[in-house]
Amino acid sequence: MTGTLIELEGLSKTFQRDSNAIMALSPTDLSIKRGEFVALVGPSGCGKSTILNMLAGLLRPSEGRVSYGGEVVNDLNLRVGYMTQKDTLLPWRTVTDNIGSPLELACRKTPKAERLEKIRKMIEFVGLKGFEKHYPGELSGGMRRRVALARMLIYDPETLLMDEPFGALDAQLKLVMHDEIQRIVGGGQKTVLFVTHDLGEAIALADRVVVFSSRPGRIKAIRSVNLPRPRDVFRIRFAPRFTELHEELWDQLKDEVKKGVDT
Amino acid sequence: MTLATRDADEQIILAAVSARADLQPAGHMQRLQEFFARPAGRATGQIAIVAAILAIWQFGSGRFLPHVWVSSPSAIFTKLGSWFVDGSIWIHLAATLSAASSGYIIGSLTGIASGLLLGLSPRLERILSPFVTALYSLPKVALAPFFVIFLGIGVESKIALVSVTVYFLLLYNTLDGLHDLERSWSSAYRIMGAKHSEIIRHVLLPGIMPWIFSGLRIAVRYSFTAAVLGELIAGNEGIGFLIESSAGNYNSAGIFAGVFVLVICSVTATQFITRAETIVLHWRA
Repeated sequence: MTGTLIELEGLSKTFQRDSNAIMALSPTDLSIKRGEFVALVGPSGCGKSTILNMLAGLLRPSEGRVSYGGEVVNDLNLRVGYMTQKDTLLPWRTVTDNIGSPLELACRKTPKAERLEKIRKMIEFVGLKGFEKHYPGELSGGMRRRVALARMLIYDPETLLMDEPFGALDAQLKLVMHDEIQRIVGGGQKTVLFVTHDLGEAIALADRVVVFSSRPGRIKAIRSVNLPRPRDVFRIRFAPRFTELHEELWDQLKDEVKKGVDT
Repeated sequence: MTLATRDADEQIILAAVSARADLQPAGHMQRLQEFFARPAGRATGQIAIVAAILAIWQFGSGRFLPHVWVSSPSAIFTKLGSWFVDGSIWIHLAATLSAASSGYIIGSLTGIASGLLLGLSPRLERILSPFVTALYSLPKVALAPFFVIFLGIGVESKIALVSVTVYFLLLYNTLDGLHDLERSWSSAYRIMGAKHSEIIRHVLLPGIMPWIFSGLRIAVRYSFTAAVLGELIAGNEGIGFLIESSAGNYNSAGIFAGVFVLVICSVTATQFITRAETIVLHWRA
């Protein structure tokens, strides 16, 4: 069960904008164990999302490589589920149809009865009962995030990539979602890469927190969280270990945040 | 004057204004406004406007507006009635409607198909786009004489003119839809493991429906315009021909009656498409 699942080796990415080369991520090494929950924290534009995109196979590395399960990723990585910051629900499909859409695809074609049963369970699981026939446009931001989460979980990918999934939610709703995430993946059944700006969110959820510098991003600090699971996300902020880690990592992060704003 | 004192002044003025408004009883003005806010009230208002225009037109015609130019509502409706009584209107209406609708269907189907073909194969689009742009920019009316010498003065030349006009409208709307459609929807599907054909079927085709419908809605107007233009230029039947022959006889009542029939047809057809649009795109709350 343990053992390295994801390996970044000298991974870097440079984007070409007009005639300027902008380095988003400087060469980075990082290995992630199977079943580990790793949070990537850093200022905007430090290449956190770029790492997820390369891991998903949506972007090619400029240098170095990223391997998944012992193989170099150079095509779409279909073993990951990806929940982006942006809403990618199809506005013309109901909650039920959006959640069920991965099961309609040829690669995991599921008979209708089984599909509907899975969808029903998933809707109940993420607390969307009563909204089955609603369209995304009729839902609140928090509900749309739940739909996106359910759509990712329904096909049970072995690794979850989450790019600021709750960035747009208010503080209370965020906590509710954290509780949900913690229930789903806290037991180490899934490997998770979780990108966020929010250091508190990172510590509350992750096994390991990786702090990135401002652009070009490089790893500035890595800390293990060592808080016992299951965690009570509503009260974890008062745990001494949380406070200690938060202060320590915040000191690392604050200079980068300032730099990120200055440039 | 400081900001604070200006604010204070404004408040005094506002208070005075509202006090004066308070003094007046919730009178006729307010009740009238409430009436016109309701659907029945709005319809009453609209009917009143039409009635007023017709009354002024009728009264003014021959008094201070030359009857030979503006005709009069009663003359127009008499003319219209006579077309229905002798049945001649049906031949012309059928000619225009069949030219407009055949051209509309041919043009939109081929336009959507070409738009999909170009939009889904970027290499083909890069090669063809200058030609498509050139043809799109060309005022299609200029082609009318060509269609007449090529296809004759019958319904075929009108269908061709309508088809070409509608074709480019739908081609461009389809292409715009494919270009402007949210890219993250497709990448979300790719990550779920969708094949290219599945992305087309599940994301692109349903996704561009709003663009297609807006094209279809505009195309109704253009297809009537093109059909009537074709009939004005050369033809022996159709509403355009009726208008043209009335003009030849200095019969302004005939012109207006023809225009009236066209307005009814175009509005009805547009309403029909709009209704279909709200059914198909019902998720757009």
